[in-house]
Amino acid sequence: MAAIPNTALLPRKRESLLLGWASGPRNRDSRSRGNDAVNKSTHRLRAAPSIVVMLGPALLLLGIFVVIPMLLTIWLSFQNWSSETGFDTAHFVGLSNFQEIFGRASVGRDFKNALVNTALYTGGSVVLLLPLSVLFGLLVYQDRVRGGVILRTILFSTYMVPMIAVALVFSKLYAPADGPLNEILGAFGLPGSAWLSSPDTALGSVVLLNVWQQVGYFTVLAVAGLTQIPGSVYEAAAIDGAHAIQRFFGITLPLLRRTLLFSAVIAVINAVQVFEPVALITQGGPVGATNVLTYHIRRVGIERSEGGLGSAMAVTLMLALIVMIVALFALARRGGDEA
Amino acid sequence: MQKFMLVIGLALALAPSAALADTTNISFLTHWAPDTVAKLEAAAAVYSKQHPDVKVTVRAVPFGDLLTTLRASGGGADGATIAGIYNAWLPDLAKDKLLAPIPDAMGTEVKADWPAGIVGASSANGVLYGFPNEIDLYALNYNKKLFDAAGIKVPPKTWDELTADAKLLTDKSAGKQGFGLINSWTAGVIHPFASLLASDGGALVGPDGKPTLDSDASKETFALYESLIKNGYSDPTMGTSNANTTGPFLDNFVSGKTGMIIMANWWESALKSGMGSNFADVATAPIPMGPHGDKPHSISYSWMTVVNAKASDAEQKAAWDFLGWLDGPTSGPNGGSAMGDILISMGILPSRTSDAKAFADKLADPFLKAYLDEVPDAVPFPVVLGGQEFSESLQQHIEAVQFGKESAADAASNAQADAADILTRAAQ
Repeated sequence: MAAIPNTALLPRKRESLLLGWASGPRNRDSRSRGNDAVNKSTHRLRAAPSIVVMLGPALLLLGIFVVIPMLLTIWLSFQNWSSETGFDTAHFVGLSNFQEIFGRASVGRDFKNALVNTALYTGGSVVLLLPLSVLFGLLVYQDRVRGGVILRTILFSTYMVPMIAVALVFSKLYAPADGPLNEILGAFGLPGSAWLSSPDTALGSVVLLNVWQQVGYFTVLAVAGLTQIPGSVYEAAAIDGAHAIQRFFGITLPLLRRTLLFSAVIAVINAVQVFEPVALITQGGPVGATNVLTYHIRRVGIERSEGGLGSAMAVTLMLALIVMIVALFALARRGGDEA
Repeated sequence: MQKFMLVIGLALALAPSAALADTTNISFLTHWAPDTVAKLEAAAAVYSKQHPDVKVTVRAVPFGDLLTTLRASGGGADGATIAGIYNAWLPDLAKDKLLAPIPDAMGTEVKADWPAGIVGASSANGVLYGFPNEIDLYALNYNKKLFDAAGIKVPPKTWDELTADAKLLTDKSAGKQGFGLINSWTAGVIHPFASLLASDGGALVGPDGKPTLDSDASKETFALYESLIKNGYSDPTMGTSNANTTGPFLDNFVSGKTGMIIMANWWESALKSGMGSNFADVATAPIPMGPHGDKPHSISYSWMTVVNAKASDAEQKAAWDFLGWLDGPTSGPNGGSAMGDILISMGILPSRTSDAKAFADKLADPFLKAYLDEVPDAVPFPVVLGGQEFSESLQQHIEAVQFGKESAADAASNAQADAADILTRAAQ
């Protein structure tokens, strides 16, 4: 049996004494681990009030402006309620609102059309924004390219222009008869487009407007991602004989995965919230071709004061967005695992 | 001395708030263009001079946002005190208790000096909700210069003549269309359609309040649109409108690329502004008659000014006083009202009887004559619960025909089904 030191002569913390007395003789490592755990737990207890004080205001704001409205909207989606009356006038109708928005009548038809339009707009925006942001990012990231700083400034400046101004200017650029874009196309011998004036091209025109406005922002994100890639990796690849294309697909893109995932999530969230170009220029037309969910929810929930229906549409949009984001992360995770 | 200065300082500090406490602030929500808003602000300034305890602020939003702004802010006391509204919105706004009924004394004045039909259109369930302002109608607008160049001597009186003239005026190589149709703006789409329908003996809604969009007249009107589009006499890509009710449909008429279009009297100011001296090339004629019509009938609709029912008593009182003055015979020139003066400046017909007399000389404007001649035979646009949704649904089907997404026959049938569902649901 090992000699037991005269504990009365040794300075110890009270917690250590308690542990040592309760557990009996132990080896030095487990006792020190136990001491660490107790220390951390005590530290947390002592820090609890300051954590509450520091996080409290932010959580309060989040609760008031995000969580409560969200819960209220979910509750209202199960009610028949006019948005011009008090909540006390709401009466429970179960899933009736959801049945109506997915039904065959004009309410359901218009909602499904808006859902499809929003999905197409979002898909189109993401498919264009991500590759363009990587391309421009690579261009402006080159130290050796002259005017890289100027190009970076020009690219980001489009993001600083308010969407209302972008929408109004693009409505003139898109004028079918004598708009500058068709004039340019004509100068190259190409036929003009109807742009916003045809249901076949209106949504795509709004997508291009959005891409023009947002590409600078996503280019900055791409540049930030590129700076994270160590130069030594490229050097090693170059030594191994990899050419530029191989380095791009073998090194740049895989190591940009996290940045691209973040950009995709932000692009999806931004795209789903599209409103100004539709409200200012097309009002959802022609023939409902640019009627997107946000505009449609405003029309139903506010203009027609059908608060219950509008809330059901908002809840459906929220669920669709959650599913989309989760799918994106799952895809990214799978791609990471395979790599 | 120090106490004296303290008292003086306190008095000076409290004086502005004391003055503010006596001033009633009211706001006027409108969709008018900046130059017209300036006229309204000038009238408000005159009123405030006579009534220093009332301050009137004008808030302008694009037409496309007017109803949303009204509804989004109208549920509370902070919403606009006064608003100009399209009468089709009245039943739903009244149902949601957003509007204050007009005080009895003013109601008596309105009933005495406005046509009965106009008073009726400004009432819901027999309750009058404000001052009627304008009456708007539609007429055929055409370019005399283009008519001369095409060898057309007189404007078309029938649909057959309309189609024949549209053919002569169309020149695809020059980017010209014979007859302009409008899209992406609800009123711009359905009012011309409804005017043609009425001129063919049809109606959007029957006397029983049920839709009649699958009637023979309605099918013929959809078919007229389909024919104009298929023959290339109307190009829907030239008819887009934006939230300010301007855009390619206006630009193309102004620039002489559209030979004829059915539009309202109020766009006179936009035409004058866009065409300058070429405005003299514009003439107006009655709506062409369909094969089963008895005479040309324009759709008519009206606007009115209303007061927010959720505003405070003091604000409501001030608002009614201001409106009573603005729409009264002492605020404008020649025994007319200031509101009438503002409306005339936009080419809009004031609906008050005394204004029609006071501004007779301006109403003798050749552009407005065709509109005035149509007033006796005008058909009011139906004012029903669910009216806005009904209109938007009809708009979708008319645009679908314009862009070849629906046949005329399908559009009539589908529009009828949708309208029946909408009006039934709204009545519940």
